[in-house]
Amino acid sequence: MKYQIVIAGFGGQGVVFLVKVLSVCASKKGYKFLGTENHGMSQRGGSVSSHIKIGDFYNPLIDYAQADLLIGLDKDEAVLNLPYLKKGGDIVVNADEFEDIDANVFAIDANKLAQNGVFDAKGLNVFMLGIALARVKNFPFSIDEVKEAIGEINPKFAPANFEILQKALEYGKN
Amino acid sequence: MKLTLMGNEAIAYGLLHSNTKMLSGYPGTPSSEILTTFQKLTKDLPVYAQWATNEKVGFEVAYAGAIAGVNAAATMKQVGLNVASDALMSASFIGNLGSFVLIVADDPGFNSSQTEQDSREFARFARIPVLDPTTPQEAYDFTKLASKISELFETPVMLRSVMRVSHSREIVEIEDNFEFKEGEGEFKRDIKRWAAVPRAGRLSQAYEQLQRLEKIKEYNYKELIAPKIKELKNTENLIISSGTAYGYVKEVLQELDLNIDLLKIDMPYPLPSNLNELVKNYKKVLVIEETYPVIEEEIRSENVYGKMSNHVHSVDEMNKERVVEALLKIGFYEGENIYKPVFSVSNPKTRKPNLCPGCPHRDIYFAIKKVFRPKKSIYPSDIGCYTLGINLEGIDTVLCMGASVSMAHGFSIADKNKTVIATIGDSTFFHSGTAPLINAVYQKAKFILVILDNSTTAMTGRQTTPQRETKGEVDLKKVAEGCGAEVMEYFYKPDINETINFFKEVKKRYENTKGPLVVVSRQYCVLDKERAKEFIPGIFATVDEEKCVACDVCTTQYVCPPMHYNEKGKIEIDPLLCVGCSVCISGICPTDAFIPKDEK
Repeated sequence: MKYQIVIAGFGGQGVVFLVKVLSVCASKKGYKFLGTENHGMSQRGGSVSSHIKIGDFYNPLIDYAQADLLIGLDKDEAVLNLPYLKKGGDIVVNADEFEDIDANVFAIDANKLAQNGVFDAKGLNVFMLGIALARVKNFPFSIDEVKEAIGEINPKFAPANFEILQKALEYGKN
Repeated sequence: MKLTLMGNEAIAYGLLHSNTKMLSGYPGTPSSEILTTFQKLTKDLPVYAQWATNEKVGFEVAYAGAIAGVNAAATMKQVGLNVASDALMSASFIGNLGSFVLIVADDPGFNSSQTEQDSREFARFARIPVLDPTTPQEAYDFTKLASKISELFETPVMLRSVMRVSHSREIVEIEDNFEFKEGEGEFKRDIKRWAAVPRAGRLSQAYEQLQRLEKIKEYNYKELIAPKIKELKNTENLIISSGTAYGYVKEVLQELDLNIDLLKIDMPYPLPSNLNELVKNYKKVLVIEETYPVIEEEIRSENVYGKMSNHVHSVDEMNKERVVEALLKIGFYEGENIYKPVFSVSNPKTRKPNLCPGCPHRDIYFAIKKVFRPKKSIYPSDIGCYTLGINLEGIDTVLCMGASVSMAHGFSIADKNKTVIATIGDSTFFHSGTAPLINAVYQKAKFILVILDNSTTAMTGRQTTPQRETKGEVDLKKVAEGCGAEVMEYFYKPDINETINFFKEVKKRYENTKGPLVVVSRQYCVLDKERAKEFIPGIFATVDEEKCVACDVCTTQYVCPPMHYNEKGKIEIDPLLCVGCSVCISGICPTDAFIPKDEK
């Protein structure tokens, strides 16, 4: 099993939290994985992207045209990271609409949903992970596995995060 | 035991499991988490683990421990080793009794560094062995191996990490049931060795150094290289690689299903001559390494190719696209480069690194530029968060740690028609600001030095500083006065007029000074949870659209991330990013368009 995920966003959106969730999922399933973060000199508000490679890999960096899935917490950041996506790969992106490209694109305006009170904006990262769970056919982990990992990493906020995840699953179905 | 670890955490475990009793160094991306993790792991153990004022100091404190027989290590980023290099060059002659592991994290690709220098070159220059891990697992294993080799051969050993090892995560298998061996060091007098002086003392150590290198070469071959040569299948051509580069090459060979022998080098220096023999058995040998051609130079021969023959790229980070380009060039592969992007980006909107919302550095640069106009001023600066003052065009030069002070001195001599006003952070000033300040005082150089004192090493993750740790016993103002400089102190207020007025006072005072005038600006870091609260009033801003004339002053001269134009062409403040510092309301806007949110 080999699966490569790029998560793109900016500082403060919780990109690194998602990488931790996915690495806990992988280690619980006994999958090998390597992950890395790119954030240059930014502290807050700058581009942050993370790569996670599940399977037999020797280097943490995902190369161009190799990612199976791109999770975009922000539209512009998703566009910036498009070169990493493989042809016919999956994108779930926080955007009202997205470019028409040769990939499975699922755009959802999560910012708007947060503003309308569907979920707390701080949980955007978990919401988009939930969308990926709902929409992406080959996603390597189940809902329960993701929940278990979230509970392990941050037990205090786990109930709130589970709620957001559940909302995402509903919105992801439509 | 299996743990999910970041490379730097794995190194910290490796140090613990080598019975390391002394660790020092200076923070620098991507190396900083090594010492902080080690501090956490050894909380209840009799271990010394402290940040030094700079890398040279940290190296020397730890190295003395190794001379006294305890296992010790120093940690730094690659440019930090430039600072510690004076100590390293001599330590490699003298050696050590306890192990001494020099951990250096490189940054291929200039992700957060001024250079992408390859520290393996430094190991070769200093004639010490260097280990080059590929993954966090190897970072753990090689840290222990480095300690072992260091003790065995009584020499400093470098563990050279890079950003993609230090900042990557994987499941790492670490030793179970490790028991820390307590016990103190004991300095044994050996004047001939520990205080070897030129010429006779150092000359004999130089001969010993060469003999030692020969023994290490043998060790490298027997223990590390020979077992890997056995696995080779004697294909027509050979690829030699090490460190992160090996990871890329191995993945490429697997994914393109190429049958080419690949030899991994764990210790790129010193290399045994057996390797030159091996090279003769192949038609062509391609060396793929990151960042400089170290192995390639060591095994140079007619059939060895790499960076020096222009087959492999010489600048910037490695990736698989570049590995395949090299394979195509040399003829090891004929086919498509599958690592070229399918989707290209037209019109990318990139986010520039920026000072955080609420960061007082922004106010200082804004005020400096108001009072000391750009046409009549030179703004040398230094290494830290405040380097991002470049977005406000409040910085003219950036060289290396501490250079703002000495370069301000130099500019004051070379261009007498301008006022030189330099900026430096508190941690950088302690690191290497005092020597150039003393120099400027005794030579009566006339310039202004602003020390931006947020009492933390902010850029690298808010490590502590001497001033903070001693609660003011070591104090910037006292230190600058001790150097003989005139000092003015500013207690930062989130009101731009206060800051501008203060710098007007600075200007007046400067007209009557004969030497450097130091300003200590007492401020805070917005990410510093302990101190930020007392400084941020929590008054959030919004925009009176009728007053906004889209003049660009806030977006080009103040550059606070929440400020941006909306669809109506008016400035808008992103409420999720604003921290409520209220400075914009106090007078950034020429038409007073920023107003408190609750007054709207």
